Amino acid sequence: MGNERRFSAINTKLRVMRSRFLKDDDYLTLMRKDSVAEQIKFLATSTVYGQVLDEVENHDDIQEVELSLERFQITQFEKIIKYFSDDYEKYIKSFILRYETEDLKLYLRALARGDDLEKFSQKSVTRKKYYNFSYDKVKSSKTLDEFIDNLKDTRFYDVLYPYRHEDYTKLMFYMEMNLDRLYFDTLYQSGQELNKVDTRAFYDVFGENIDILNVEWIYRGLKFYNLSPEELINYTLPHGKLFSFKDLKALCYGDIENLKKVVSGSIYKELVNEEKDLDLFMGIRVQRHLYNKFKNSFSQGKLDISIANAYLHLLEFEIKDIISILESKKYGLSYYETKEYLVRDIKGSDY
Amino acid sequence: MSIEKMTMMNIIGKIDMVDDVLKNLLKTRKVDLVSAVSQIERSNFLFDVNDENVDMLVDLNYIHTFEKSEECEEMFRKGEELKAALDLDFQVDRIDEDMKLVSKEELSDELDSICKEVHGPSTMIVALKKELAYLDDFHSNSFRELEEFPVKVEDLRNMEYFDFKMGILSRENLLKLKKNYDNILSVLLHTGSSAEGEVYFAFYPKKLESEITRILRSLNFKEIILPKSYTGTPEEIRASIESQKERLHMEIEGQQKILDDIKAKYQDRIRSIMEQIWITTRLDDLKEKVAFSSNYFYLSGWVAQSEKEEISSSVAGHDDVLIKFKEEENLEPPTKLKNNWFFRPFQWLVNLYGTPSYNELDPTPFVGLSYMLLFGMMFGDLGQGFVMVVAGYFISKKMELFGGLLSRIGIASMIFGTLYGAVFGIEHWIPALWMRPFENINDILIVAIFVGIFVLLVAYIYGIINAYKRKDLEEGVFGHAGVAGVILYLTLLVTVGGSLLGISIIPVPLGIGIAVAALLAIVFRLPLTHLIEGKRPLHGGDVSGYYVESIFSLIETFLSMLSGTISFIRVGAFALTHVGLFLAFETIGHMMGSAMGNVIVLIIGNIFVLGLEGLIVFIQGMRLQYYELFSRYYSGDGKEFNPVSLGK
Repeated sequence: MGNERRFSAINTKLRVMRSRFLKDDDYLTLMRKDSVAEQIKFLATSTVYGQVLDEVENHDDIQEVELSLERFQITQFEKIIKYFSDDYEKYIKSFILRYETEDLKLYLRALARGDDLEKFSQKSVTRKKYYNFSYDKVKSSKTLDEFIDNLKDTRFYDVLYPYRHEDYTKLMFYMEMNLDRLYFDTLYQSGQELNKVDTRAFYDVFGENIDILNVEWIYRGLKFYNLSPEELINYTLPHGKLFSFKDLKALCYGDIENLKKVVSGSIYKELVNEEKDLDLFMGIRVQRHLYNKFKNSFSQGKLDISIANAYLHLLEFEIKDIISILESKKYGLSYYETKEYLVRDIKGSDY
Repeated sequence: MSIEKMTMMNIIGKIDMVDDVLKNLLKTRKVDLVSAVSQIERSNFLFDVNDENVDMLVDLNYIHTFEKSEECEEMFRKGEELKAALDLDFQVDRIDEDMKLVSKEELSDELDSICKEVHGPSTMIVALKKELAYLDDFHSNSFRELEEFPVKVEDLRNMEYFDFKMGILSRENLLKLKKNYDNILSVLLHTGSSAEGEVYFAFYPKKLESEITRILRSLNFKEIILPKSYTGTPEEIRASIESQKERLHMEIEGQQKILDDIKAKYQDRIRSIMEQIWITTRLDDLKEKVAFSSNYFYLSGWVAQSEKEEISSSVAGHDDVLIKFKEEENLEPPTKLKNNWFFRPFQWLVNLYGTPSYNELDPTPFVGLSYMLLFGMMFGDLGQGFVMVVAGYFISKKMELFGGLLSRIGIASMIFGTLYGAVFGIEHWIPALWMRPFENINDILIVAIFVGIFVLLVAYIYGIINAYKRKDLEEGVFGHAGVAGVILYLTLLVTVGGSLLGISIIPVPLGIGIAVAALLAIVFRLPLTHLIEGKRPLHGGDVSGYYVESIFSLIETFLSMLSGTISFIRVGAFALTHVGLFLAFETIGHMMGSAMGNVIVLIIGNIFVLGLEGLIVFIQGMRLQYYELFSRYYSGDGKEFNPVSLGK
């Protein structure tokens, strides 16, 4: 099937779906509200997210709002999946894997705290039918060993297996790293199965995404985590666009100054811009870089996978920003401070 | 060639007879069970009270329904497990209907005792096989590359400054490690492969244990713990694994032998138990429709009037069982079509649209004849018809009705093939007994319209008879598919058609007069009906609304008469298409130049015409039936008679 046929319907649909996103004015209104409760009420009554926020009973509970919005995102995935088949369907589905691993992390953390997993099923983002593992089997687990054993014959088993018989409070970090790596591997694999044009469109974004995630990871690893360079390099993600394994190795065995120097000489120089506190703002800059990239490819409107890619990520950033705005209100940040923490740059907001 | 008269059968009997009575009824395959509770609620369980049955009827006030237990399901599951464990290969499908039933408890006990016997050896085998698979998978291959390695494992274990780990690394992670080998204080040795990936040995200084562990973990190193019992060189370990495997094989064989003995002993018994369970389950399913009091059961079902005797005699052997047949006026009985062998396949076509309701004329014979006529006209070919007859014969072994239908329309095709003089599309092998459509294009189209008019008229008559059976005066006499409609249709045909053809059968003013009278009857059909039946108010409410609707429906009446008639031109058109399509292939055949090529093209053409055009004509025929004809006379909102039986 040619891309004209594959994408003409879905890309039109995606444009319509995108047009329902919040406008700049909506963001301004949202930020100007006096309390979290009012903000949530605004979202529930005047935006497309009303359809999922109806169920939120407690109008102060940001966590619940976040959960509902993420579930909304899953429903958008479902809508999009219907337009694809075969490898393309698999590709879109591999995005859902990310939310599945988020759920899995949720269960792992609950297990670490000694909570009953049954209670956490309402907190899960993904529908159980998308799970690659059997939730019914997993939920009965009382210990980490049991949990991992219950994942047998799933793709998660292999990545979690080395951590059996271990004290898991310490190992949570490693397991989460491994799950994330699994997600990116799977996404990369499915991205390679698309046709030539789409593989290129996919990699154009994916490669950069990997690059900046690796930079962020090494920066933090060097600065905060007590990790050996060997471990640091082993946890980097493969298939970056700009930085090869060798480049990354040099970064891992070097120091922070070296990292800043290398990155500021690349297209990612924005990441290490030291105007503002690097520790605090690097994460947001990472997202901002991707956000602009996606916004760009959405407006280019090519007849390939880039629109679907962009849509899914733009939605994600929108949800992130909404949650940031709510959190900022909760912690009493000023209007201008709030803006600093948003991925997007809102026009007409400086008066 | 009609719809069977049905009657309601009510049975009361002692509760312990219920299984036997049900079984006997099932065997007849002639009873359509209905919920007895609802029959009792409607007070339809009417028997004349006398000394003998007074108890039974008093109990009617204390009825309850049957509660299905999960026992049967549980037993069935156990049976399936047994089948799997003993590797038994049979399907419970043919049931001996005369089988003597034993109680569920007995069945369950026997099943349990067999299960117990099987359980020991079968779990043993599972465990042994697991162990064997473990050895096979993991260890026998893990040392493959180390066979020549002269060092004993215990020596490695006892090293003072070095330690080792064995485990699996993915290719990707191995590459990562290799690229960073210069920074890692460990020797990595490829030693073999296991089902899960390539196996590596890592040797490292003991002091660096925690660091190396962390690094390996970051590479998803899946450690294989070498059991303490393994000693000696890799070669020796291999040999010991081999001998262990040997031992396991022997043990498995021994257990398998025990199982085989059990299998030989119980094979037939298990089968018969499974069949028993199956029947019991089926009976339990049916009992949900039966009502029970503490001592008696109450059962109701539809039976054909003609089969009353046979059914009561099948139950008559039991004491304390009362049977009563009763005409049921309030409920519409299910429809059991009774057609002779020739028309029976056309029931398939009728049921596809909807089962005739109990009070309706069975349309099957008319559908059969008219469908054959229309199909034959559209697809007349002696040879291809013959192919359809043969295909129908073979299909009928799997799908009786559809195969039969195919054979019959094949016959129609053969008849018209003879009339048209066509064999496999070729028109010069046999003479045309009637005419060749392609050479008489106008004639075939006109004939098609006349055929259409004829079947439409028959459909009108069916409609009127159905209305009469429903006692529906409004539709039957004044409706547009009723008497008034037919008169209008005929008058229009004679007047308009006659003047078009230049022959006058009745004078035009008279024709117009009759048509206007029929039109008025249709417009005023509700008040007229009410006038005759003596009902008031005449229009039943909204007067102006009624006339607006009525006058608009007149337009629809005209349109449907016109389009319905013209619609039949397609019959002629497809007769032409059939020839024309083949003509194209014939031309291509000539262009091939060689005789062989010609024959091949003709064969392909025949397959193409038979498949594609055959399907189109089949569908067009159905369209004419459903759309032009059924809409004039057939409601098809009946319920099919669905006799209960033991079979699956």
